[in-house]
Amino acid sequence: MSALGKVVRSGVGRRRVQSFVMALTTLAAVTSSVLSLGLLTVVQAPFDHAFAKRGGAHLAVQFDGAKATAAQAAATAHAAGVTEAGGPYPITTSLDSTVGPDCTAGIGPGMTFADTAAPPVTVTTRPNLTAGAGLDQIVLDRGTWPTGPNQIVLNDWPGECLGKSVVFSSLAGKPSFKVVGFANSLTDTATGWTTADGFARLTGAGAKTDSQMLYRFAAAGTEAQITADRQAVAAAAPAGSVEGAQSYLTARTQATGNAKSFVPFLIVFGVLGLFLSVLIIAIVVSGAVVSGIRRIGILKSLGFTPGQVARAYAAQALIPATIGVVAGTVFGNLLAVPVLNGTSHDLGSGGATLPVWVSLLVPLGTLAIVAVTAMIPALRAGRLPAVQTLVVGRAPRAERGRAAQRLASRLPLPRSVSLGLAQPFARPARAALVGAAVLFGAVSVTFALGLETGFSKFQDQRSAGFNAASLIVVPTSEDPEQGGPPGGMYGPNDPRTPHLDAAKVSAALASVPGTKAAFGWGDSGATVVGAPTGDMTAVDTVSGDFSWTGMELISGRWYSGPGEAVISDRLATAMGTHVGDAVTVVQEGKPLTLKVVGVAFDTHDSGRSVLVDSATFAAAGLTPRIDQFNVELASGVSGPDWAASATAALSPLHADVDDNQSGHGSDVVMVMSALVATLSVMLLVVAALGVLNTVVQDTRERIHDLGIFKALGMTPRQTVSMVLTSVALTGLIAGLIGVPIGTALEKATLTPMGNAVGMHLPPSVTNTYSLGLVLPLLAGGVVIALLGALLPAGWAARSRTATALRTE
Amino acid sequence: MTNPSRNPPNPLMIDLREATKKYDDGPPALAGVTLSVAAGECLAVLGHSGSGKSTLLNLIAGLDRPSSGTVTVNGIRVDRLGEAGSAKYRRASIGMIFQFFNLLDDLTVLDNVLVPAQLAGMGKAEAKRRSAELLGSLGIDRHAKAYPQRLSGGQRQRVAVARALMNRPALLLADEPTGALDSHSAQDVRRLLLDLNAEGQTILLVTHDVELAAGTAHRTIELVDGAVARDVVNGAARGDASLTTPANAAVTGPAGAVR
Repeated sequence: MSALGKVVRSGVGRRRVQSFVMALTTLAAVTSSVLSLGLLTVVQAPFDHAFAKRGGAHLAVQFDGAKATAAQAAATAHAAGVTEAGGPYPITTSLDSTVGPDCTAGIGPGMTFADTAAPPVTVTTRPNLTAGAGLDQIVLDRGTWPTGPNQIVLNDWPGECLGKSVVFSSLAGKPSFKVVGFANSLTDTATGWTTADGFARLTGAGAKTDSQMLYRFAAAGTEAQITADRQAVAAAAPAGSVEGAQSYLTARTQATGNAKSFVPFLIVFGVLGLFLSVLIIAIVVSGAVVSGIRRIGILKSLGFTPGQVARAYAAQALIPATIGVVAGTVFGNLLAVPVLNGTSHDLGSGGATLPVWVSLLVPLGTLAIVAVTAMIPALRAGRLPAVQTLVVGRAPRAERGRAAQRLASRLPLPRSVSLGLAQPFARPARAALVGAAVLFGAVSVTFALGLETGFSKFQDQRSAGFNAASLIVVPTSEDPEQGGPPGGMYGPNDPRTPHLDAAKVSAALASVPGTKAAFGWGDSGATVVGAPTGDMTAVDTVSGDFSWTGMELISGRWYSGPGEAVISDRLATAMGTHVGDAVTVVQEGKPLTLKVVGVAFDTHDSGRSVLVDSATFAAAGLTPRIDQFNVELASGVSGPDWAASATAALSPLHADVDDNQSGHGSDVVMVMSALVATLSVMLLVVAALGVLNTVVQDTRERIHDLGIFKALGMTPRQTVSMVLTSVALTGLIAGLIGVPIGTALEKATLTPMGNAVGMHLPPSVTNTYSLGLVLPLLAGGVVIALLGALLPAGWAARSRTATALRTE
Repeated sequence: MTNPSRNPPNPLMIDLREATKKYDDGPPALAGVTLSVAAGECLAVLGHSGSGKSTLLNLIAGLDRPSSGTVTVNGIRVDRLGEAGSAKYRRASIGMIFQFFNLLDDLTVLDNVLVPAQLAGMGKAEAKRRSAELLGSLGIDRHAKAYPQRLSGGQRQRVAVARALMNRPALLLADEPTGALDSHSAQDVRRLLLDLNAEGQTILLVTHDVELAAGTAHRTIELVDGAVARDVVNGAARGDASLTTPANAAVTGPAGAVR
């Protein structure tokens, strides 16, 4: 090994704690950065790339065929802001469908797909489905394009049933089509494509025909811009003719899944980690230079050039940093696997792996930053004159902080405390380093605790609303092996699907002792015109008062009269619907227009639902479906006892008591929570170790003064008190600054995290900082500083006075 | 202040019995030293570098513990004290002055002097009165608000003496107190030590300056390889006259009664 190598190795070996800190902080920074940049690349870039390549439409608007002619719809191509338009294309509302009887592929033992429920289909036709130009080019994934009136291409359909038939069960005569292929529209403008003749078969069977127009706009980057664009289109069309609209932003959210919601907080941790890395490396390397001035003198006297000295000191930081960078890259890639689960891979993304270039760019960039940070003090070491370093042996002391010492000595405090209080003023640069380390620690802790509180509240909300119940009452399930229908295999409108008699079950429950509250609800089987086609949307009919469930309104009010509905936030966001707008739902071909009076933070099922009173449905001639009663028991009532007494009343009504399946908490949020906890603990440890390193450095330099104090009778306790006090004030100030910054970061992060999955988080989730949390956090800076200073304080107390006195 | 020649009074201020100090596997730094110093006595400890002078001083000051043997100072078994006990012992019983003064550069002269009293929890008024008295008697009261770096070496050592005497210690330990001073300042400090001793202050003076030892101390011991090689009672050299005519009490041979 060369002489330089030996110097570097001994330097790293002598500073094991500092080397560990540098490795840890770069690990935290690189893990966060690799993951955040990688996720952004993996989940969003493929969509954006495909959007550009396939002429994606910013907005697809569906016009009510009864209120706007095709020509009137076409005229909206000239609406304000429109740069390109396509259509009008005829399109149906969402149609109920079942798998045809010819698909005998098995689902499970004794069960086939035949006659089972399939997702509703929104069918359209275009003059040239195979067009390779223009807006919203449809891509055929499997099979062939339809060539006759009996053929259709679908988007969401059992793969085993390709080549078999689909039956539109709610239309007259239940028309059937052969599924000849699978295709997709990037922005989910439709889920079924057929020929003009085929489309005529549907309209002939009673399918309602609307017109769809596709648009690109000059400004369409944000939800607000899309909303404005939609309003411009609506203004150019006959009043009330816009039934629904599909934004590409919604489609992008669906494509990116939950992964994108990780990005905001990972960016924050990445930036915090990078800053902390720079700070720690600056502390360690400059500390090594200051404390090793005599060593530098010796090295130079032995013939080391300034360049070699600088390289020796920079390398002492780069070796542990490289270890941290490599480990961070590996961790970031490993963590991507669970995070990317659930992300759409339809757009050519690389699955649950991050791009290689991210795993090269981030670590190399971090190493470059680390190298520059380390080289600044290392170059200083190289420039130090050898004679001066050999003679002086330590950095000259500036005459700072004397006024503070005078002032502190007058305070009515124990002398050890007042000496400690004045210490930061004697070495302001070092105090600033301690403060910066504590500041990052306080910011990290505040940020992380705010997020964790938000996650916890979010999980609480997921257990509220339609998920809240002590017990649930469901239709008695028949055993499929004895000829009964397998549960969930048929659609809500299928006569084989059992439902509850709301009035009778409600009355029975009221008669059972111990019932505190109960309400019934169920999927009505209706579809929502203009709802995104990518995810399941339900129209739930509700019977009874569910105010006890704690479901929260984001805007508006609960329905209170006929014709009113409350829409879930996620669906409202996806459809661009606001309070006061109308939505049209269709049950078995019967449309019903509802006035949206409220938007609720409703997370049950996929969080896309319209809540309607059963009475509204019944009054309009539609059929409310009640599949479940949520029951809240009075306090002290035993669930099994209640169930036993309720069974007698419910059995004649073909209803059973079932446990409310717990675990409504989101797995994604649990992964986030674990990630936040891990990263924040890492940064907190690094911050405390940064303080430790600085105080060790400071104590080493002040060892002679400490020896004097001890020779004069300073006890170990007084020594500890002095060292701890020397960082307490700095820690307090840093904490007071760090808490508001951490709070602001959390505020700027939590909301975008919700938005990334199409949610507007309610105040009950976003109000994360209670007084009981903030007050301890404000003291957190002191705690971090004291934790970091505790070890060196003990070391100072134990240091041998005789040795210290001889140290110069 | 006067400098009467006198016999050392009793009782014992320092009592070392077979005190040995070993570091690692090397030869002992102090090898079975037995030494008694009476209250009011001024003892000089001579020896070359590495002879064990500093180790002896450290054991007496409670800065280090003997590997074996006992160290009793002013009736306190110093070798049995823990860290906190040693600190309190130094605070109450020991004053120390050093070759390089060991003043705290960022504190004023007054604040330096006040530190021992403040650490001991002395009342503010009493500390103020005592510091004023010491600064006045040592002739440095006009420098009370100055910082040590502005003072001459002799002045700094006077500040160190004032600080050492702040808590009225039973024993003053002086470690090469003139080693960093010019001859004029060294004489100044020597006279100061004589005056203090004349007032009854027990002093243990560690030095390699034979003249200082002979002219200041009642008695001189010489350490060689950690053991007391000589223990000499100084003769008439000690006194005001000896300041101008340095004593001739070499320790290379017995100049007085050997104990």
